[in-house]
Amino acid sequence: MKRVLVALLAISMAAGVLTGCGSKGSDKTFTVGFDAEFPPYGYRDDNGEYVGFDLDLAAEVCKRQGWELVKQPIDWDAKDMELSSGAIDCIWNGFTMNGREDAYTWTEPYVDNSQVFVVAAASGVQNKEELAGKVVAVQKDSSALAALNDEENTDNIALRDSFAQLIEYADYNTAFMDLEQGAVDAVAIDIGVAQYQIAQREAGKFVMLQGEDNKLAVEQYAVGFLKGNDELRDTVQKTLDEMAADGTFTQIAEKWGLTDSVCLGK
Amino acid sequence: MSLLTMSAQLAEGFLITVEIFVLTLLFSLPLGLIVAFGRMSGCKVIRIISKIYISIMRGTPLMLQIIVVYFAPFYVFRMHVGTGYRFPAVIVAFVINYAAYFAEIYRAGIESIPVGQYEAAQVLGYSKAQTFVKIILPQVVKRVLPPVTNETITLVKDTSMAFTISIAEMFTVAKQIGAAQTSVVPLLAAGVFYYIFNLVVASFMEYLEKKTSYYR
Repeated sequence: MKRVLVALLAISMAAGVLTGCGSKGSDKTFTVGFDAEFPPYGYRDDNGEYVGFDLDLAAEVCKRQGWELVKQPIDWDAKDMELSSGAIDCIWNGFTMNGREDAYTWTEPYVDNSQVFVVAAASGVQNKEELAGKVVAVQKDSSALAALNDEENTDNIALRDSFAQLIEYADYNTAFMDLEQGAVDAVAIDIGVAQYQIAQREAGKFVMLQGEDNKLAVEQYAVGFLKGNDELRDTVQKTLDEMAADGTFTQIAEKWGLTDSVCLGK
Repeated sequence: MSLLTMSAQLAEGFLITVEIFVLTLLFSLPLGLIVAFGRMSGCKVIRIISKIYISIMRGTPLMLQIIVVYFAPFYVFRMHVGTGYRFPAVIVAFVINYAAYFAEIYRAGIESIPVGQYEAAQVLGYSKAQTFVKIILPQVVKRVLPPVTNETITLVKDTSMAFTISIAEMFTVAKQIGAAQTSVVPLLAAGVFYYIFNLVVASFMEYLEKKTSYYR
């Protein structure tokens, strides 16, 4: 009986490994790795489908290339391992290229993004300097965190050092919950996501610090491929350029309310 | 989003949670017994191997083990495995992790049986195998039901770690809905699902305990 059980276990495990083989997925399928908690770039809608600006762009690219789009939500911490092992073909979701130019093979940037601070309207904070001595939240492994830790930017370092505490969160939803209850005083976040969060929550409760001076960093989003995967990048780039040329790109940007942020083809 | 739509979506994720739960128990309960025997074996080599296995599996985080099992084929053997490997990898990681815990639980149960039982069985002419299966094992099962219930309930909640390699089980779905709706209600709903399921598991185990308490 034991032998039968052990044999069954061995066979099922071996079979499980084999089902994965042979599906590297770059010829017929295009697997997009994304953070499914990052609206409006990639998130879960009311019907349980994964939607978003980036996913719409990817779907259009796949339509034009005759590929099948596979939307694969990933754990943001594991993104590099997923990409290196071939489990995903690219990272496409509000992926900041600044500071990571050498780590991946990139397309041309398609969105101009900035990192901003969101505070409770009641706090009366208007400038980022007023955040000295306050508790600030940021998503772990995000470009907001990278901007604050950027050794070459003395202003940012000074700002970070002036905070009472800089707390890293696994996701923005939890960070905003803490902001709501007053456990943190500000959240450092991408402008697109900030606008979505502010719009979704109680009107007038949260506000973004305005003005160029209050921006933490100005940066760009692009699609990241495994370093060296020039072929796939070039194909996707060509398709994106075609989409920009015939207006589809702008159409999709309008649908998501991001016309002000996009920069492809400009 | 209505509570009904949310529950329907969470239920889909819950199916995956239950799948992981059932498969893990199915394989780790027997595997734990094998490891327990290894741990109590007369042969020194087998004993040491079992001790090292138990030590590593209990001493390292489950999340790390899941990552290792999933990414090792690529980083160690340079094998390209596709998305089809995600679910088997999670099951393998959970099974080898929980087998170590179950092994120690079984060992406690087996070692707590008084020597008198073995002596009496020997006097009555039972072989070693018969002694174990007919005399010792039933008593062990009775004794280990409470700690096994503990591990089982822990397993239900540990399934949320499957997201490390992108399996969309229920807690992950709850977080995604929460992010899209910018609310915390999905997490509370997920908590309710977990609690109800654990209640069912605990009630079932209690029923088993009653059935085996024939001497009280």
